[in-house]
Amino acid sequence: MDELYLDNIDEFVNDHDKIVTYKWLSLTLGVHVNTAKQMLYHYLDHKRKESSAPLHATYLVSGKFVDNGQTSHKVSVVKEDQLEDVKSRMSLVVSVHVYSVQKALLKDSGPLYGVDYDAVKDNLKNCSRYSAIRCASAVPRSSVELQQARPTQPAPAPEPEHKKSTTNGDATPASKPSTKPQKGIMGMFANKSALKNQDSGKEVKSEQKEDAPVVDEPKSKPAAKANPMMNFFSSQAAKKPDKTVKQEEAAPSSSSAEQQRPSSQPEETQAAAAAAAAVEPPKNSKKDSRSKTKRMEDSDSEEEKMDKKKRRRIKKPEPDSSDEDVIPDSPQQMETREASPSPKKKVESVSQSHGNCEMKTRKRRRVLKSRTFVDDEGCIVTEKGYESESYSEAEDDVQAPKHAAKDPLPAKQPASSKQDDKKSQKKASANSNKGTKQASIMGFFQKK
Amino acid sequence: MFSDMSAGKPGSSLLCRPVSEDQAPVFERVSPAYNLCSERYTVGERSFSRQYAHIYATRLMQMRPLLSERAQQKWGSDVLIRKLCDLQTGEQCCIVGTLFKRMELQPSILKEISEEHNLLPQPARVKFISDTDELILEDELQRIKLEGNIHRDKCVTGSVVAVFGAEKNDGKFTVEDFCLADLPLQTPRPVLTSDRFVLLVSGLGLGSSNADSMLGLQLLVDMVTGQLGGEGEQSGAANISRVLLAGNLLSQNTQDKDAHTKPKFLTKKTQAGSVEAMRLLDELLHQLAASVPVDVMPGQFDPTNYTLPQQPLHRCMFPLASVFPTLTLASNPHQAHIHGVRFLGTSGQNVCDIQKYSSMEDHLEILEETLRLRHLAPTAPDTLGCYPFYQKDPFILEECPHVYFSGNAPEFGSKLITGADGQEVLLVCVPDFSSCQTACLVNLRTLTCEPLAFSAFSAHEEDESEMNVSH
Repeated sequence: MDELYLDNIDEFVNDHDKIVTYKWLSLTLGVHVNTAKQMLYHYLDHKRKESSAPLHATYLVSGKFVDNGQTSHKVSVVKEDQLEDVKSRMSLVVSVHVYSVQKALLKDSGPLYGVDYDAVKDNLKNCSRYSAIRCASAVPRSSVELQQARPTQPAPAPEPEHKKSTTNGDATPASKPSTKPQKGIMGMFANKSALKNQDSGKEVKSEQKEDAPVVDEPKSKPAAKANPMMNFFSSQAAKKPDKTVKQEEAAPSSSSAEQQRPSSQPEETQAAAAAAAAVEPPKNSKKDSRSKTKRMEDSDSEEEKMDKKKRRRIKKPEPDSSDEDVIPDSPQQMETREASPSPKKKVESVSQSHGNCEMKTRKRRRVLKSRTFVDDEGCIVTEKGYESESYSEAEDDVQAPKHAAKDPLPAKQPASSKQDDKKSQKKASANSNKGTKQASIMGFFQKK
Repeated sequence: MFSDMSAGKPGSSLLCRPVSEDQAPVFERVSPAYNLCSERYTVGERSFSRQYAHIYATRLMQMRPLLSERAQQKWGSDVLIRKLCDLQTGEQCCIVGTLFKRMELQPSILKEISEEHNLLPQPARVKFISDTDELILEDELQRIKLEGNIHRDKCVTGSVVAVFGAEKNDGKFTVEDFCLADLPLQTPRPVLTSDRFVLLVSGLGLGSSNADSMLGLQLLVDMVTGQLGGEGEQSGAANISRVLLAGNLLSQNTQDKDAHTKPKFLTKKTQAGSVEAMRLLDELLHQLAASVPVDVMPGQFDPTNYTLPQQPLHRCMFPLASVFPTLTLASNPHQAHIHGVRFLGTSGQNVCDIQKYSSMEDHLEILEETLRLRHLAPTAPDTLGCYPFYQKDPFILEECPHVYFSGNAPEFGSKLITGADGQEVLLVCVPDFSSCQTACLVNLRTLTCEPLAFSAFSAHEEDESEMNVSH
C-alpha cells in the first residue's frame, strides 16, 4: 500500500488546519473506515517519530464498564492524555482506535461532531459504503417502486372528464355556501372575471402540465405527500368533490402522459360553474366559446404555448415550496388547501367562489403587453394583447425565487397569504382591478 | 453481554499501520424475521362526534369476563360476583368495575372557567394526588365508594379491577382484597441459536438549542452502522438486527408555545421550529436506514396527532430516508414481532401520566403495574388524550408481549418478570437519550437488556468518570 495517504493527511492537518476524523478521511479518500483508522494511527506514529510537531489526537475507547453492579457497554471519545485512565477504569476493553488527528488541542468535542456532520452531509449517498457492515435489504427503492408502494395511487387519475358534476372542484362543503355570495359580487365583474378565468385556467393547466414533470423529479416528496394527505382529508368532505379533487391531485403525480387529462378535468369543473372559477380553472372549448372578445381567443391560443413556456420557468420552485407548507399547517387549512388542485395557484379571487381557496401567493393578472413575433410570412409583427403574468401578493417582483434555499420563504408566504386570501375573499371586488392597473386593496397585504 | 461478544477478536488491532487495501472486512447485517402488527393502533377515518363514555363501556365489557375468572381463581370458584345494583348490605361478595379516583387537585377545565369559583389557573404541578382523594368503583349502572384494603394512592382512574368485600350500612364498600386482570397468555418465544440484538433508543431531542447530545447521537449511529470501533465491535454491531426509536425524536424546544396565541400575520415569516429538526432527523434516519432496519415511533413532541394512538409520522417528511425499504414508520403504541419475539411499547406518555396521578415514581414499577392491569393506558381518556373508540378498546393487552418497553424514562431500567402461567416478560424503560446519552440493547436470545452509554469530553470536565456513567 503506497504511502501517499501520509502526505494527504499531512496536508489536511498542517496546511488546511483541519480536524481529520477517521470518518472524514474514509469518505474523502474513499477507503474502508478501518483502513482510515489505521492510516491515522500510522500518520500519528510517523509524524511523532519524525519531528516533534504539535499534533493532538483523540481516541475512541469502548468496553465493558461496571458501575454500581450495573454493567454497561460504554463508548467514549477521549483525549489522548485521558486514554490510559479511561482504559484502566473499564473492566474489559473491546476496541481502541484513533478517532481524530488535529493540530490544535481540542478542549471540547463539539468540533468533532461538526466535522463528521459535514462529511456525511456531503456524501449522503455513500455514507455507509465504507462502513464495516453491509445490509442486504437496505437498497434504495427506485422511483417506480416508490410509486407502487404508495398506498392510494388512484387508478381514477385518468378518469373521464365528464365525471365532474359539481359546480366547483373544491372538496370542502364549507366552500359551497361561499360560492353563492361570491357569485353575486362576481356578476358585477363578469367581464373581467371571465377573462381572468380563462387566463387563470390557462395558468393552472400549464401549471399542472409543468407540475407533472416537476413532480416526477427525483424528489417524489410533493406527489407522495399530495396523494395520501389528499385522500385522508377528502374522505371527510363530500364524496363527489373528493373524487374530483382526488383525481386532479392524482393527476400531477401520475406520469406526464396523463397531463392532458388532469388539465381537462378542471376545465370541466369550471365549465360547469357559471363564471365562478373553481380551484381548477377551466380550459376547454366551452370556455373558449364563452370568451368575450375574438381578440381574446386569438391571443389565448397563441399565448398558450408561450405562456406555458414562460410559466414553466416561474412555476418550478412553487410545487416544492407549497407542498412543504402543507404539513405544518393545521388540518383545517390543509383540507381546504388540498381542495385546490395541485400547484395551488391563487387565481384571481374575484373569480374564486370559495372562501377557502387556499391557493398560493402567486397570482396571475392580465396585463396589456406588446408582443413581437415573426409571422409565417417572415415579417416581424408587433401586437398588443393581454397576457397573463404572475405576480406575488407579498412581493412585487415577478420572478419567483428559484433557489431551494429560498424555498422556506415562499413556503411561508403561502401559509400566511392563505389567511390573507380568506380575508380577501370578501373583498373580491378589489381583485378585479388587475387589468386596469388601479391601486388595489390587495396592496394592503402586499407589504407582508 | 455485548461487550463480551465483541471483544473476542485478538490480533486485529487498529493501532497499527494499514497492511493492505483489501484487508478491511465487511460484515453482513443479520436480517430479522419482522412482522409488524400495526392494524390495532392505526386509526383510519376518525370521527370525534362520539362521547368517551363508549370507550369505558367497552373496556368494562371486554375485561369483565377476564376479571371474573381471576376472581374465581383467587377467592374460590363459589365466590359471589355481583353487579352493583344487586348488592345487599353485609353480604360478602366480589364486584367488578372501573376505578375512578376523585382528586381535588386534578385540573378541571370546568372549575377553571367557572365564575362562581373564582379560581385562578392552577400552577403546573408534578403530582396531583392528595390526601383527600377518594376511590369509587363504577360498573355499567351504578357507582360505589371504596374504602379499606386498597392502595388508594397507587390506583389510577380507568383501571378495571375486581374487589372482594362487603357493603356496609353507610353505603360504602369495604374492601378486603382486590385483584387485577394480570398478565394475559403468552406464546412461547422461539429459541435462538445466536445472539441477536435490538437497539432501543428514545428521546433523541433533535432541534434543541442545547447540542451536547449530538456527538453522542453520532457515535450511536456510527456504532450501529459499523463505522466505529474495532473489528470485534463491528462484527458485534452486525448482530444488531433492528433499531427502534421510541418517540420524542424532536426536542420540546421545537414546539412553538405561542403558535396558538400569536396571530398568523405576525408569524408569517418565521419557520416552525420543527422544520429544521425534521431535516436533521431525516439525515440521521438516512444514515441508519442505509445500514439497519429502523422502526420510528412518534412521541409527545413529534409532528403527529396528539391523542393516543399516535399515528405514524408521514413518509413525506423523510424524503431521503423513505427511499429505503428498511425504514418503518410505526405508530405509538407499537407492536411487532422481531425474530419471533413480541415487542410492545409506547413512547412513555402513558407511564408519565400515571406517574402524575399516583404515588408511584419509578417508571419500571408503573410499567409493571400497567402490565398487571392488562391495560396499556388506563388513564386514557381521563387525563391522557385518546381517540374515542367505541367498538373495542385497543389498549387492552390481549396477548402477553415478550419485551414491554416505554420510552423517555429519566433513567435506564430493566426487569424480567414472570407471570402465573409461565409468562416471561422483559420490562425495559428506555432512557431519554438527550439527557442520559444511553440506549438499550436487548438480547433476543437471552431476553436481557444492557445499557449502551456514549460520552465525549468537554472543556469543563475534570472528572470524566462522572459523565461517562450510565445512569
